[in-house]
Amino acid sequence: MKTIEWQYLIVSYLFLGGLSAGLFFVSAVTELFRRHGDSAKTEIARVGALLAPWPVIIGCTLLVFDLGHWYRFYKLFLHFRWESPMSIGSWLLVLFICASLTYAYGWVPSRVRGGFFERLPKRLRFLEFLNRDVSGLRRPLAIAGLPMSVGVAIYTGVLLGAVQSRPFWNTNLVAQLFLFSALSGGCALLILVLAASPRKFEMHEFQSLYLLDVSFLTLEFFIVVPYVIHGELSVEAVRKSLKLVLGGPFTILFWVFFMGLGLLLPFAIEVYEALPLLLRHAQFVPRVDTATVAAPGAAVSILADPEQSPSRKLHFSRSWAVAAAVLVLMGGVLVRYIFVFAGQMSAIH
Amino acid sequence: MTNRPKRYALAIDAKKCIDCKACVVACRAENNVPLSKSRNWINEELRGDWPKLMQIFEPEQCHHCEEPACVRVCPTGASYKRPDGIVAINPSECVGCRYCMIACPYDARFFREDLGVVEKCDLCARRLDRGELPACVETCPSKVRIFGDLNDPTSEIHQILEKRQYRVKKPEAGTGPQIYYLL
Repeated sequence: MKTIEWQYLIVSYLFLGGLSAGLFFVSAVTELFRRHGDSAKTEIARVGALLAPWPVIIGCTLLVFDLGHWYRFYKLFLHFRWESPMSIGSWLLVLFICASLTYAYGWVPSRVRGGFFERLPKRLRFLEFLNRDVSGLRRPLAIAGLPMSVGVAIYTGVLLGAVQSRPFWNTNLVAQLFLFSALSGGCALLILVLAASPRKFEMHEFQSLYLLDVSFLTLEFFIVVPYVIHGELSVEAVRKSLKLVLGGPFTILFWVFFMGLGLLLPFAIEVYEALPLLLRHAQFVPRVDTATVAAPGAAVSILADPEQSPSRKLHFSRSWAVAAAVLVLMGGVLVRYIFVFAGQMSAIH
Repeated sequence: MTNRPKRYALAIDAKKCIDCKACVVACRAENNVPLSKSRNWINEELRGDWPKLMQIFEPEQCHHCEEPACVRVCPTGASYKRPDGIVAINPSECVGCRYCMIACPYDARFFREDLGVVEKCDLCARRLDRGELPACVETCPSKVRIFGDLNDPTSEIHQILEKRQYRVKKPEAGTGPQIYYLL
């Protein structure tokens, strides 16, 4: 009896788990490679660290409620089966959540932490032992958590790819696709949060994020293309399963909404935005949105370096950044939706 | 009798099947299967062009694979293979993640929403342990199903598979299915 067993809860979990992995990865890499006193990189690492644990925690809650009986989830932790990607994944998720929570705690300012513990009711005073500064552990935690975050991102793809009987999934490219989609999603959420926050931010905060995201989107693109080409050159079962995105029910969703709007369009926006940086090592200089500026001459007045030649001026705009980030995140949700549903519809005939 | 371990399997002589569905009903009664689900079923296929037509009925259920994909992916070990080759589920260990249902190339498993666990054919393991035949085998009026121990040279299934040609379904899934369809 063919049924679609894994539905929206699983799609949401795969997206949220990947998002956390991406946030942690970008934050940890930024923390490990930033120069001392680089306030912009510090801000990326801080925001990434503080955001990272929450999506995966929400995602895991959804996973637990997808089980037959939610309260039986503890049985997953009474066993370890290295052959089962789900068993490995559950343990990995626990480790990753612990690491990302501790890492995030290391970024909480001592003022906020102290204020929180002061306000604790008397009954909860025994938690006082948690009131300690772990900011010194940021780098070790970043190093330890990095492979875990990559593992969480890859594992969501391996979970699907390990199923031999679903030809749409049964390739290593699914794991790679989910990995880079997750990392790119982490970048996109950081761009979104930094660009959409009302707080004044420095434009060059976005340089490294754009470069990372453009790299991840490029890798993602060059995984999707061979996925389709190889599938078409593969055995009949795989060719038939690919019909789901080549003329089947997921065609428009896959090519127009995922590949077009969720991958190539944000890629084009980000490349356009970052091009002068890529070509000339220029710094980001804000381009003023016509919508936000009343005086037409204002654009000239806020250039960071008036000596710069006009060709090195940057196209940075907050609305483009938000648009690109939202599109990347939408693409991340869609690719998981398509793979979860199409994969279960595919079969060996 | 040799000391070799048992390897239970099923041979199906589909040409004898008349689609009476007595096997499905017997299984439902024996294993308390809800009406909306089924542990075994009969595939129907129409072959040829009019007027030369042939209706084929082919009973199917869990294939009790040699290398079961469901057992491999199960995160808790609730799906397991018995020493006699039967692939069974321990409901008290099943968390209801349904990974096994997705991994099964034959879609032989179903989810019991009321119990929160996955179920499937276990070749009536309880009956076998009492020395009886599986309900579907015992009830089949046209003797489509031949059940027995492949490792016992005196068993009917061993002898019939020696003499007659057979095929298995989806061998390319690589799971080593143990339902033999006689040609």
